Amino acid sequence: MEKMTSPYRWGMVVDLDRCTGCGACVVACQAENNVGICGKREIAEGRDMHWLRIERFWVGEYPNVRVRFLPVLCQHCHDAPCEPVCPVYASYHNPEGLNGQVYNRCVGTRYCGNNCPYAVRVFNFYSHEWPKPLDNQLSPDITVRPRGVMEKCTFCIQRIRRAREDAEGEGRKIRDGEVQPACAQTCPTEALVFGNLADPRSRAARLSRSPRGFRLLEHLGTHPSITYLKGGGREHV
Amino acid sequence: MKLSWLIGALAVVAVALFVVLAWMYILPMDLRDRSPVQPIAFSHKVHAGTNGIQCLFCHSSASKSPVASIPAVAECRACHLFIAPDAPEIKKLMGYWDRKEPIPWVRVYSLPDFVYFPHMMHVRAGLGCARCHGVVATMDRITRSVKLKMGWCLDCHRKHKASIDCWTCHI
Repeated sequence: MEKMTSPYRWGMVVDLDRCTGCGACVVACQAENNVGICGKREIAEGRDMHWLRIERFWVGEYPNVRVRFLPVLCQHCHDAPCEPVCPVYASYHNPEGLNGQVYNRCVGTRYCGNNCPYAVRVFNFYSHEWPKPLDNQLSPDITVRPRGVMEKCTFCIQRIRRAREDAEGEGRKIRDGEVQPACAQTCPTEALVFGNLADPRSRAARLSRSPRGFRLLEHLGTHPSITYLKGGGREHV
Repeated sequence: MKLSWLIGALAVVAVALFVVLAWMYILPMDLRDRSPVQPIAFSHKVHAGTNGIQCLFCHSSASKSPVASIPAVAECRACHLFIAPDAPEIKKLMGYWDRKEPIPWVRVYSLPDFVYFPHMMHVRAGLGCARCHGVVATMDRITRSVKLKMGWCLDCHRKHKASIDCWTCHI
Protein backbone atom coordinates (compact mmCIF):
# COMPACT_ATOMS: atom_id res chain seq x y z
CA MET A 1 0.00 0.00 0.00
CA GLU A 2 1.23 3.45 -0.76
CA LYS A 3 2.35 5.53 2.16
CA MET A 4 -0.17 8.05 3.38
CA THR A 5 1.24 11.55 3.51
CA SER A 6 -0.23 14.86 4.47
CA PRO A 7 0.69 18.54 4.13
CA TYR A 8 -0.23 18.99 7.79
CA ARG A 9 1.60 18.13 10.97
CA TRP A 10 -0.47 19.51 13.80
CA GLY A 11 1.28 20.78 16.87
CA MET A 12 0.95 23.16 19.74
CA VAL A 13 3.01 25.63 21.70
CA VAL A 14 2.28 26.25 25.39
CA ASP A 15 3.82 29.45 26.69
CA LEU A 16 4.23 28.88 30.43
CA ASP A 17 5.30 32.49 30.92
CA ARG A 18 1.82 33.48 29.82
CA CYS A 19 -0.19 30.78 31.58
CA THR A 20 -2.01 32.06 34.67
CA GLY A 21 -3.48 28.70 35.63
CA CYS A 22 -7.04 29.96 35.34
CA GLY A 23 -8.36 26.61 34.11
CA ALA A 24 -10.48 27.99 31.28
CA CYS A 25 -8.89 25.47 28.91
CA VAL A 26 -9.95 22.59 31.16
CA VAL A 27 -13.57 23.74 31.15
CA ALA A 28 -13.57 24.43 27.41
CA CYS A 29 -12.18 20.96 26.69
CA GLN A 30 -14.78 19.34 28.90
CA ALA A 31 -17.60 21.22 27.18
CA GLU A 32 -16.33 20.69 23.63
CA ASN A 33 -15.51 17.02 23.67
CA ASN A 34 -18.41 15.28 25.46
CA VAL A 35 -16.05 14.39 28.30
CA GLY A 36 -17.93 12.62 31.06
CA ILE A 37 -19.08 14.49 34.13
CA CYS A 38 -17.65 12.93 37.28
CA GLY A 39 -18.97 13.09 40.80
CA LYS A 40 -17.41 12.88 44.23
CA ARG A 41 -17.04 9.12 44.16
CA GLU A 42 -15.13 8.95 40.89
CA ILE A 43 -12.80 11.77 41.87
CA ALA A 44 -12.12 10.09 45.23
CA GLU A 45 -11.22 6.94 43.31
CA GLY A 46 -8.92 8.90 41.02
CA ARG A 47 -11.10 8.06 38.04
CA ASP A 48 -12.06 11.58 37.05
CA MET A 49 -12.18 12.41 33.38
CA HIS A 50 -9.97 15.16 32.03
CA TRP A 51 -8.38 15.38 28.62
CA LEU A 52 -6.46 18.41 29.80
CA ARG A 53 -5.35 19.13 33.33
CA ILE A 54 -3.33 21.87 34.99
CA GLU A 55 -0.46 20.65 37.12
CA ARG A 56 0.41 22.95 39.99
CA PHE A 57 3.86 23.27 41.54
CA TRP A 58 4.96 25.26 44.57
CA VAL A 59 8.40 26.74 44.16
CA GLY A 60 10.57 28.18 46.91
CA GLU A 61 10.53 28.30 50.72
CA TYR A 62 7.79 29.82 52.83
CA PRO A 63 7.81 33.57 52.60
CA ASN A 64 8.99 33.49 49.00
CA VAL A 65 6.68 30.84 47.63
CA ARG A 66 5.62 31.05 44.01
CA VAL A 67 3.20 28.84 42.17
CA ARG A 68 3.88 27.38 38.75
CA PHE A 69 1.24 26.00 36.39
CA LEU A 70 1.71 23.41 33.71
CA PRO A 71 -1.17 22.52 31.38
CA VAL A 72 -0.76 18.87 30.41
CA LEU A 73 -2.67 17.41 27.50
CA CYS A 74 -1.94 14.59 25.07
CA GLN A 75 1.46 15.41 23.62
CA HIS A 76 0.67 13.64 20.33
CA CYS A 77 4.10 12.03 20.41
CA HIS A 78 5.73 11.00 17.15
CA ASP A 79 7.18 7.97 18.95
CA ALA A 80 4.21 7.40 21.18
CA PRO A 81 4.56 4.81 23.95
CA CYS A 82 0.79 4.20 23.88
CA GLU A 83 0.67 3.01 20.28
CA PRO A 84 2.72 -0.20 20.16
CA VAL A 85 1.10 -1.65 23.30
CA CYS A 86 -2.47 -1.62 22.04
CA PRO A 87 -3.44 -5.21 21.16
CA VAL A 88 -6.26 -4.13 18.83
CA TYR A 89 -4.61 -1.12 17.12
CA ALA A 90 -7.16 1.27 18.63
CA SER A 91 -4.32 3.66 19.37
CA TYR A 92 -2.64 4.55 16.11
CA HIS A 93 -0.68 7.29 14.41
CA ASN A 94 -2.39 9.29 11.77
CA PRO A 95 -0.70 10.82 8.71
CA GLU A 96 -1.15 14.32 10.14
CA GLY A 97 1.04 13.46 13.10
CA LEU A 98 -1.86 13.02 15.47
CA ASN A 99 -2.03 10.20 17.91
CA GLY A 100 -5.46 8.73 17.33
CA GLN A 101 -7.78 6.71 19.48
CA VAL A 102 -10.47 4.69 17.71
CA TYR A 103 -13.23 4.24 20.25
CA ASN A 104 -15.12 1.51 18.44
CA ARG A 105 -11.97 -0.60 18.25
CA CYS A 106 -10.98 -0.12 21.88
CA VAL A 107 -11.58 -3.13 24.11
CA GLY A 108 -10.43 -1.41 27.27
CA THR A 109 -7.19 -3.17 28.20
CA ARG A 110 -5.81 0.17 29.50
CA TYR A 111 -2.28 -0.76 28.41
CA CYS A 112 -1.99 2.56 26.58
CA GLY A 113 -2.97 4.58 29.63
CA ASN A 114 -0.49 2.71 31.78
CA ASN A 115 2.28 3.18 29.24
CA CYS A 116 1.73 6.91 28.80
CA PRO A 117 4.43 8.84 30.68
CA TYR A 118 2.25 11.97 30.72
CA ALA A 119 -0.81 10.16 32.19
CA VAL A 120 -3.17 11.99 29.87
CA ARG A 121 -5.30 9.07 28.77
CA VAL A 122 -8.46 8.55 30.76
CA PHE A 123 -10.59 5.46 30.99
CA ASN A 124 -14.38 5.36 31.22
CA PHE A 125 -14.72 3.28 34.35
CA TYR A 126 -18.42 4.12 34.52
CA SER A 127 -21.08 5.03 32.02
CA HIS A 128 -21.45 8.75 32.37
CA GLU A 129 -24.79 10.43 32.20
CA TRP A 130 -25.74 13.93 31.24
CA PRO A 131 -28.73 14.97 33.31
CA LYS A 132 -31.68 16.25 31.33
CA PRO A 133 -30.96 19.75 30.03
CA LEU A 134 -27.21 19.08 29.82
CA ASP A 135 -27.59 16.38 27.17
CA ASN A 136 -28.46 19.15 24.72
CA GLN A 137 -24.89 20.41 24.84
CA LEU A 138 -23.41 17.10 23.64
CA SER A 139 -21.60 17.60 20.36
CA PRO A 140 -23.16 15.53 17.58
CA ASP A 141 -19.90 15.49 15.63
CA ILE A 142 -18.06 13.27 18.06
CA THR A 143 -18.75 10.01 19.77
CA VAL A 144 -20.22 9.83 23.25
CA ARG A 145 -17.84 7.25 24.66
CA PRO A 146 -19.43 4.31 26.44
CA ARG A 147 -18.12 2.56 29.52
CA GLY A 148 -14.94 0.53 29.06
CA VAL A 149 -13.33 2.74 26.45
CA MET A 150 -10.09 4.69 26.70
CA GLU A 151 -10.19 8.29 25.51
CA LYS A 152 -7.89 11.27 25.27
CA CYS A 153 -7.23 14.66 23.73
CA THR A 154 -7.72 14.67 19.96
CA PHE A 155 -6.58 18.26 19.29
CA CYS A 156 -10.31 18.77 18.61
CA ILE A 157 -10.26 16.58 15.51
CA GLN A 158 -13.87 17.54 14.75
CA ARG A 159 -12.75 21.15 14.25
CA ILE A 160 -9.83 20.08 12.08
CA ARG A 161 -12.24 17.95 10.05
CA ARG A 162 -14.65 20.83 9.59
CA ALA A 163 -11.88 23.24 8.60
CA ARG A 164 -10.56 20.75 6.05
CA GLU A 165 -14.03 20.23 4.61
CA ASP A 166 -14.40 23.99 4.19
CA ALA A 167 -10.91 24.29 2.70
CA GLU A 168 -11.42 21.40 0.29
CA GLY A 169 -14.71 22.93 -0.82
CA GLU A 170 -12.80 26.07 -1.78
CA GLY A 171 -9.88 24.09 -3.22
CA ARG A 172 -7.17 25.37 -0.90
CA LYS A 173 -5.15 24.32 2.13
CA ILE A 174 -6.18 25.11 5.69
CA ARG A 175 -4.89 28.57 6.57
CA ASP A 176 -2.83 29.27 9.65
CA GLY A 177 -5.11 30.16 12.55
CA GLU A 178 -8.20 28.88 10.77
CA VAL A 179 -8.49 25.94 13.10
CA GLN A 180 -7.79 25.89 16.78
CA PRO A 181 -8.87 23.51 19.51
CA ALA A 182 -11.27 24.63 22.23
CA CYS A 183 -8.47 25.07 24.80
CA ALA A 184 -6.46 27.40 22.57
CA GLN A 185 -9.55 29.32 21.53
CA THR A 186 -10.59 29.99 25.09
CA CYS A 187 -7.18 30.79 26.61
CA PRO A 188 -7.45 34.42 27.78
CA THR A 189 -3.68 35.02 27.68
CA GLU A 190 -3.15 33.16 24.40
CA ALA A 191 -0.69 30.86 26.11
CA LEU A 192 -1.79 27.99 23.86
CA VAL A 193 -1.04 28.32 20.15
CA PHE A 194 -2.11 25.60 17.74
CA GLY A 195 -0.97 25.25 14.18
CA ASN A 196 0.59 23.34 11.35
CA LEU A 197 4.25 22.59 12.17
CA ALA A 198 4.89 21.42 8.61
CA ASP A 199 4.45 25.01 7.49
CA PRO A 200 7.58 26.79 8.79
CA ARG A 201 5.83 30.19 8.65
CA SER A 202 2.86 29.26 10.82
CA ARG A 203 2.66 30.96 14.20
CA ALA A 204 3.00 27.70 16.11
CA ALA A 205 6.04 26.63 14.07
CA ARG A 206 7.77 29.98 14.60
CA LEU A 207 7.12 29.87 18.35
CA SER A 208 8.27 26.26 18.59
CA ARG A 209 11.72 27.32 17.36
CA SER A 210 12.05 29.75 20.27
CA PRO A 211 15.18 29.33 22.45
CA ARG A 212 12.83 29.15 25.44
CA GLY A 213 11.34 25.93 24.14
CA PHE A 214 11.50 22.51 25.73
CA ARG A 215 9.48 19.33 25.55
CA LEU A 216 7.87 17.51 28.42
CA LEU A 217 9.98 14.51 29.59
CA GLU A 218 12.17 15.03 26.56
CA HIS A 219 14.71 12.45 27.70
CA LEU A 220 12.22 9.64 27.09
CA GLY A 221 12.52 10.21 23.34
CA THR A 222 8.80 10.33 22.66
CA HIS A 223 9.18 13.36 20.35
CA PRO A 224 6.03 15.22 21.39
CA SER A 225 4.17 17.61 19.09
CA ILE A 226 3.78 20.08 21.93
CA THR A 227 6.53 22.56 22.76
CA TYR A 228 6.52 24.33 26.12
CA LEU A 229 8.10 27.77 26.45
CA LYS A 230 9.60 28.90 29.72
CA GLY A 231 12.38 31.22 30.83
CA GLY A 232 11.39 34.69 29.77
CA GLY A 233 10.43 37.40 32.19
CA ARG A 234 11.85 38.03 35.60
CA GLU A 235 13.05 34.67 36.76
CA HIS A 236 14.08 31.29 35.55
CA VAL A 237 12.64 28.25 37.25
CA MET B 1 -23.45 -48.37 21.80
CA LYS B 2 -21.84 -45.97 24.26
CA LEU B 3 -19.26 -44.91 21.69
CA SER B 4 -21.87 -44.09 19.03
CA TRP B 5 -23.75 -41.93 21.58
CA LEU B 6 -20.53 -40.10 22.36
CA ILE B 7 -19.77 -39.52 18.71
CA GLY B 8 -23.31 -38.30 18.11
CA ALA B 9 -23.13 -35.86 21.01
CA LEU B 10 -19.76 -34.56 19.83
CA ALA B 11 -21.15 -34.05 16.33
CA VAL B 12 -24.10 -32.08 17.72
CA VAL B 13 -21.75 -29.90 19.78
CA ALA B 14 -19.49 -29.34 16.78
CA VAL B 15 -22.41 -28.30 14.57
CA ALA B 16 -23.78 -25.99 17.28
CA LEU B 17 -20.34 -24.40 17.73
CA PHE B 18 -20.02 -23.93 13.98
CA VAL B 19 -23.43 -22.27 13.74
CA VAL B 20 -22.66 -19.91 16.65
CA LEU B 21 -19.26 -18.96 15.20
CA ALA B 22 -20.74 -18.42 11.74
CA TRP B 23 -23.42 -16.21 13.27
CA MET B 24 -20.82 -14.20 15.16
CA TYR B 25 -18.78 -13.84 11.97
CA ILE B 26 -21.61 -12.11 10.11
CA LEU B 27 -22.36 -9.74 13.02
CA PRO B 28 -23.56 -7.04 13.32
CA MET B 29 -26.86 -8.21 11.93
CA ASP B 30 -29.15 -5.61 10.52
CA LEU B 31 -32.46 -6.60 12.07
CA ARG B 32 -34.30 -3.30 11.77
CA ASP B 33 -37.21 -2.98 9.39
CA ARG B 34 -35.80 -2.33 5.93
CA SER B 35 -38.90 -0.48 4.83
CA PRO B 36 -40.70 0.98 7.86
CA VAL B 37 -44.23 2.35 7.61
CA GLN B 38 -44.15 6.14 7.55
CA PRO B 39 -46.74 8.43 9.20
CA ILE B 40 -47.69 9.83 5.79
CA ALA B 41 -47.70 7.63 2.69
CA PHE B 42 -45.20 9.89 0.94
CA SER B 43 -44.20 8.50 -2.43
CA HIS B 44 -40.70 9.19 -3.71
CA LYS B 45 -41.79 7.50 -6.94
CA VAL B 46 -44.32 10.27 -7.61
CA HIS B 47 -42.08 13.14 -6.50
CA ALA B 48 -38.64 12.09 -7.76
CA GLY B 49 -39.75 9.66 -10.47
CA THR B 50 -42.88 10.89 -12.23
CA ASN B 51 -42.36 14.58 -11.51
CA GLY B 52 -38.57 14.49 -11.66
CA ILE B 53 -37.90 16.71 -8.65
CA GLN B 54 -34.18 16.77 -7.81
CA CYS B 55 -33.11 15.17 -4.50
CA LEU B 56 -31.41 18.40 -3.40
CA PHE B 57 -34.60 20.41 -3.91
CA CYS B 58 -36.05 18.96 -0.71
CA HIS B 59 -32.95 17.51 0.98
CA SER B 60 -31.14 20.79 0.48
CA SER B 61 -28.58 20.49 3.27
CA ALA B 62 -26.96 17.40 1.72
CA SER B 63 -24.64 19.55 -0.40
CA LYS B 64 -23.50 21.83 2.42
CA SER B 65 -23.80 20.00 5.71
CA PRO B 66 -23.05 16.59 7.23
CA VAL B 67 -26.76 15.76 7.45
CA ALA B 68 -29.02 15.56 4.40
CA SER B 69 -32.00 17.08 6.25
CA ILE B 70 -35.70 16.40 5.88
CA PRO B 71 -37.72 19.34 4.55
CA ALA B 72 -39.80 21.32 7.02
CA VAL B 73 -43.58 20.91 6.98
CA ALA B 74 -43.75 24.45 5.58
CA GLU B 75 -41.83 23.35 2.48
CA CYS B 76 -44.25 20.49 1.80
CA ARG B 77 -47.15 22.84 2.40
CA ALA B 78 -45.81 25.51 0.07
CA CYS B 79 -46.44 23.25 -2.93
CA HIS B 80 -49.40 21.32 -1.62
CA LEU B 81 -51.49 24.41 -0.98
CA PHE B 82 -51.97 24.26 -4.74
CA ILE B 83 -51.21 20.67 -5.70
CA ALA B 84 -53.81 18.07 -4.75
CA PRO B 85 -54.94 19.83 -1.58
CA ASP B 86 -57.93 17.51 -1.15
CA ALA B 87 -56.10 14.17 -1.19
CA PRO B 88 -56.39 12.32 2.15
CA GLU B 89 -52.61 12.14 2.70
CA ILE B 90 -52.27 15.87 2.05
CA LYS B 91 -55.04 16.48 4.60
CA LYS B 92 -52.87 14.57 7.09
CA LEU B 93 -49.93 16.81 6.19
CA MET B 94 -52.03 19.94 6.72
CA GLY B 95 -53.14 18.49 10.06
CA TYR B 96 -49.50 18.48 11.19
CA TRP B 97 -49.17 22.06 10.00
CA ASP B 98 -52.30 23.16 11.88
CA ARG B 99 -51.20 21.42 15.09
CA LYS B 100 -47.69 22.93 14.64
CA GLU B 101 -46.07 19.50 14.96
CA PRO B 102 -43.17 18.06 13.01
CA ILE B 103 -43.99 14.94 11.04
CA PRO B 104 -42.63 11.92 12.96
CA TRP B 105 -40.85 10.32 9.97
CA VAL B 106 -39.28 6.96 10.72
CA ARG B 107 -35.55 6.84 10.06
CA VAL B 108 -34.51 4.29 7.44
CA TYR B 109 -30.74 4.87 7.20
CA SER B 110 -28.89 5.31 10.46
CA LEU B 111 -25.26 5.03 11.48
CA PRO B 112 -23.83 4.33 14.93
CA ASP B 113 -22.71 7.23 17.09
CA PHE B 114 -19.03 6.47 16.48
CA VAL B 115 -19.32 7.11 12.75
CA TYR B 116 -19.07 10.61 11.34
CA PHE B 117 -20.56 10.73 7.88
CA PRO B 118 -20.57 14.10 6.08
CA HIS B 119 -23.07 14.14 3.22
CA MET B 120 -21.55 17.24 1.65
CA MET B 121 -18.15 15.64 1.05
CA HIS B 122 -19.80 12.81 -0.87
CA VAL B 123 -22.10 15.09 -2.87
CA ARG B 124 -19.09 17.32 -3.64
CA ALA B 125 -17.12 14.31 -4.84
CA GLY B 126 -19.84 13.77 -7.43
CA LEU B 127 -21.20 10.60 -5.88
CA GLY B 128 -24.82 10.08 -6.94
CA CYS B 129 -27.39 9.71 -4.17
CA ALA B 130 -28.41 6.37 -5.67
CA ARG B 131 -24.97 4.88 -4.96
CA CYS B 132 -25.94 4.49 -1.31
CA HIS B 133 -29.68 5.06 -1.21
CA GLY B 134 -30.74 2.90 -4.16
CA VAL B 135 -32.93 4.11 -7.01
CA VAL B 136 -35.28 6.10 -4.83
CA ALA B 137 -37.24 7.35 -7.86
CA THR B 138 -38.75 3.89 -8.28
CA MET B 139 -39.74 3.37 -4.64
CA ASP B 140 -43.16 4.25 -3.28
CA ARG B 141 -41.96 3.72 0.26
CA ILE B 142 -38.23 4.03 0.96
CA THR B 143 -36.45 0.70 1.33
CA ARG B 144 -32.93 0.41 2.64
CA SER B 145 -30.99 -1.06 -0.26
CA VAL B 146 -27.51 -1.46 1.22
CA LYS B 147 -26.04 -2.73 4.44
CA LEU B 148 -24.07 0.16 5.88
CA LYS B 149 -21.00 -1.81 6.86
CA MET B 150 -17.46 -0.52 7.17
CA GLY B 151 -16.05 -2.86 4.53
CA TRP B 152 -18.55 -1.53 2.03
CA CYS B 153 -17.51 2.07 2.80
CA LEU B 154 -13.82 1.19 2.54
CA ASP B 155 -14.22 -0.55 -0.84
CA CYS B 156 -15.50 2.68 -2.33
CA HIS B 157 -12.96 4.86 -0.47
CA ARG B 158 -10.10 2.71 -1.78
CA LYS B 159 -11.45 2.72 -5.31
CA HIS B 160 -11.77 6.51 -5.37
CA LYS B 161 -8.50 7.14 -3.49
CA ALA B 162 -10.40 8.80 -0.65
CA SER B 163 -8.84 8.86 2.78
CA ILE B 164 -8.87 5.59 4.67
CA ASP B 165 -7.39 7.06 7.84
CA CYS B 166 -9.40 5.82 10.87
CA TRP B 167 -10.07 9.36 12.05
CA THR B 168 -11.70 10.26 8.75
CA CYS B 169 -14.90 8.62 9.95
CA HIS B 170 -14.39 7.55 13.55
CA ILE B 171 -14.02 10.74 15.56
